[in-house]
Amino acid sequence: MTEPEAEQMSVAPGEPHDSLLSESLSYVIGLGLALLLTAVSFWVASTSVLWGPGVATGLVVLAIAQMGVHLVFFLHITSGPDNTNNILALAFGVLIVFLVMIGTIWIMSHMNANMGPTPEMMNLHTQRG
Amino acid sequence: MFGKLSWDAIPFHDPIPLFTSLVVILALAALAIWVWRKGWWPYLWHQYITSTDHKKIGIMYIVLGLLMLVRGFSDAIMMRLQQSMAIGASQGYLPPEHYNQIFSAHGTIMIFFVAMPLVIGFMNFVVPLQLGVRDVAFPTMNNVSFWLTASGALLINVSLFVGEFARTGWLAYPPLSELRFSPGVGVDYYLVALQISGVGTILTAVNFVTTILKIRAPGMSYMRMPVFCWTSLASNLLILAAFPVLTVTLGLLMLDRYLGFHFFTNDGGGNSMLYMNLIWVWGHPEVYILILPAFGIYSEVAATFSGKPLFGYRSMVFATLAICIISFCVWLHHFFTMGAGADVNAVFGIASMIIAIPTGVKIFNWLFTMYGGRVRFSVPMHYLIGFMLTFVIGGLTGVLLAIPPVDFVVHNTLFLIAHFHQVIIGGVVFAIMAGYTYWFPKAFGFTLDERLGKAVFWCWFIGFHLAFMPLYVLGFWGGTRRLQHISDPSWAPWLHVALLGAVIIGVGIVLTVVQLLYSIRTRDQRRDVTGDPWDGRTLEWLTLSPPPHYNFAVLPDVHGEEAYWTRKQTAIKQVALIEEPDYQPIEMPVDTPTGVICAFFTSLCGFAVIWHIWWLAILGLIGAFAVLVWYAWRDEHEHLIPVGEVRKNARERRRIRMEHLHELSQST
Repeated sequence: MTEPEAEQMSVAPGEPHDSLLSESLSYVIGLGLALLLTAVSFWVASTSVLWGPGVATGLVVLAIAQMGVHLVFFLHITSGPDNTNNILALAFGVLIVFLVMIGTIWIMSHMNANMGPTPEMMNLHTQRG
Repeated sequence: MFGKLSWDAIPFHDPIPLFTSLVVILALAALAIWVWRKGWWPYLWHQYITSTDHKKIGIMYIVLGLLMLVRGFSDAIMMRLQQSMAIGASQGYLPPEHYNQIFSAHGTIMIFFVAMPLVIGFMNFVVPLQLGVRDVAFPTMNNVSFWLTASGALLINVSLFVGEFARTGWLAYPPLSELRFSPGVGVDYYLVALQISGVGTILTAVNFVTTILKIRAPGMSYMRMPVFCWTSLASNLLILAAFPVLTVTLGLLMLDRYLGFHFFTNDGGGNSMLYMNLIWVWGHPEVYILILPAFGIYSEVAATFSGKPLFGYRSMVFATLAICIISFCVWLHHFFTMGAGADVNAVFGIASMIIAIPTGVKIFNWLFTMYGGRVRFSVPMHYLIGFMLTFVIGGLTGVLLAIPPVDFVVHNTLFLIAHFHQVIIGGVVFAIMAGYTYWFPKAFGFTLDERLGKAVFWCWFIGFHLAFMPLYVLGFWGGTRRLQHISDPSWAPWLHVALLGAVIIGVGIVLTVVQLLYSIRTRDQRRDVTGDPWDGRTLEWLTLSPPPHYNFAVLPDVHGEEAYWTRKQTAIKQVALIEEPDYQPIEMPVDTPTGVICAFFTSLCGFAVIWHIWWLAILGLIGAFAVLVWYAWRDEHEHLIPVGEVRKNARERRRIRMEHLHELSQST
C-alpha cells in the first residue's frame, strides 16, 4: 500500500485528517475523555460530593457527556458542511429515542398507578362472598 | 442429539396440514425437476439467485411476496369458511387449536412476508432507476437482505409440516406466548423467523437510506427527487428507527422463553403490559412503513396517467416527512383499553387524529393532479381511484377508532378487523397491484393484458367490499375478532356475504396468474419497444425495457423536476436527441452466492434454535459468519463492462428513440 492510499483509508467520513498522527491523536484524546468520564461517574456514586438524591441526575449528565465524546471522537460527528446528513440522522435518532423513552415511561407509570390490584381484589373476604 | 425434534412433530393425524404440506413439497420438487430438465438452473443461479443487480433482487422480492400472498390468502379463506360454517349447532371443520394457528399465521405472513417483501421489492426495482444511478449503495448486502427475508419465510412455512405455529395471534402477546401457556414450538417459530427476516429488513433500510442520501444522478437534488424516492426514504428511516425496537422486544420474549427470564411473565416481577407498549412502538410505524411507499406509487401513477406534473409536490414531501415523525407519537391507540387512563389516552387519541391531516393533504393532491388532466383510465388508474374511495372510508373509521370512548366499545371487534383491512388492502395491496401493472413492462419488456388487468381490479374492489363491509356491522353488534365458533345464528347472512367476498378476491388472484400466463404467451404483440410505454415522467422510462445491468450508459443530467419529461419534450420539439456522449467502460459489482449460502446457514441455525438442537445452532451460526468473512476476503470486486458493449447498447437505444421521434413528428 502506498503512502497516500494509507492516508486516504484512515480518514473517516466527514472528518478529513492530514496525517495518521493527528488521526491517532484524536482517538487518544477521545479515549482519555471517555475514561475520565467513566472514572468520575464511579467516583460521584461512591462519595458524598453530590447531594444524595442528586446523584442520579449527575450520572445522567455524565452519561450524556459520554455519548457526546463517543459521537465526536469515535463516530466523527462534526458540524462541517459535508456532514449535514450525519447531523440530521443524529437529530432524527435523538428525537425518536426521546419520544419512545418519554412515552414509554409516561405510559407505564400510569399503567402502574391504574392497573395494580385494587383493595377489593386483594380482599379475600369479598372474593369468597 | 435432535433436541425436542421427534417423529411426533409431523402432523400424521391432521389431514389438512399433512395433505397441504405434501402437495407443496411435491409441487416444489416437480418445479425444481422441470427447471432442471429445461436446463434453466445455471441461468437462475447466475441471473437471479446470486445476482447483485437491484432489479433482479427487486423481482425476487416481488415473486416471494406474491407466493406468500397465496399462502396468506389460503389461510384467509379457511378462516372465512370456518366462520361461515361454525354457527349455532355446527362446529365447522377446524378445531380451535388449528384455527388459532391459522389466524396467527395469516397475520404474520401477510405483514412480514407479503406486504414487506412486495414494498421492498418495488423500492429495489424502482429507486435506483428513478434516481438515475446504476445500483444501490451496497449491492451484495442487498442480496443478503433478500435471502435473510426468504430464510424467515421458509421457517414460517416449515412450521406447517414440522411442529406447529403460534396460537397467539400475529403479535404473540404474553403472558399467552410465555412458556407456561405456550409450551410448544409455535411461538419459537414465530420469534426466530421474525428475528432472521428482521435483520434482513434493517440491512435493507441501511442500504436505501444511504443510496437515496448519497447516490443520485448529477443535478438530482432532494427537491427534484420523484415522490416515490421521497416516500421510500421516509419509509426506510422508519424501518431504521422502528425495527430495532421489534428485535429487542422479541429478543426479550426469547430470553423469557429460553433462559427463564421474567420480562413479561406474571411472576418474578415481569410486566406483560410493557410488551404491548414496546411491540406497538414498532407496530404503528410499521403500518406507515408499508403505506408510505404505496403513496409514492400512487403519486407516480397519478402524474403519469393524468399527463400532468404532480399537484403540490412540496406539500407531498412535507406531508410524508410529517407522517414520518408523527407515526412515532400514536402507538398507544392500539391499547387504549389497557388502562393508561384518560389523560394519556387523550394525548394519543388527538395525535392519532392529527396524523390523518397529512394523509388528507395527499388525497387532495392526487385529486387535483387528476383535475384538468388528460386522465387515461388504464389499470393503474383504476387502482388509484379505487384506492381513494376505499382508503378514505378506512381512514374515517380509523379516526373513529382514535376516539378513546368509541374504541372502548369496538376494541378487538370485527370493526377493527374491517378497519385495518380496509386501509391495508385498499392502500397497500391496491398500490402493489398498480405498481405491478405499471412497472411490469420496465422489468420484462412487455405489457400485461389490459382487459384481464381490469377484471382483476374489479375482483379485488368488489370482493374487498363484500368481504369486509359486513364485518363493520358485526363489529358494532359486538362480534369479537378471532372467533372459532359463532353462537348467534343471526350473524350467518353477514358471514356468508363475507365468504362470498373472499371467494371473489380469490378469483382475482387466480385471474392475476391467468393474466401473467396469457401476457407471456402473447408477449410478441405487446412488446414495449421504446422503453416508455405509458408516456412516463421519471427517469426509469429513459432507459430501454428491460434495462441493461448498468441501467444507464451515461448517468443522466438532471435539470429540474420531472427530469425525463423535460428531456423528452425538448427532444420531441427539436426532433433530435441530446448529443451523443463519450461512452466509458462501466464497473459493476460481481455476482456472489454469499447471500444464499448465508441464508442457508441462518435457516439451519433458526430451525435448530426452535427445536433446541444446540450443536446445529452453533454450526449454523459459525457457517453464516464464515461465509461473510470469506466474502470480505475476496479478490475480485467488480467486473468491467467493455466500452464496445456499452456503446452498442446505447446506440441501439438512440436508434429506437430517433425512429420514434420521427414517427411522432410525422403524425402531428
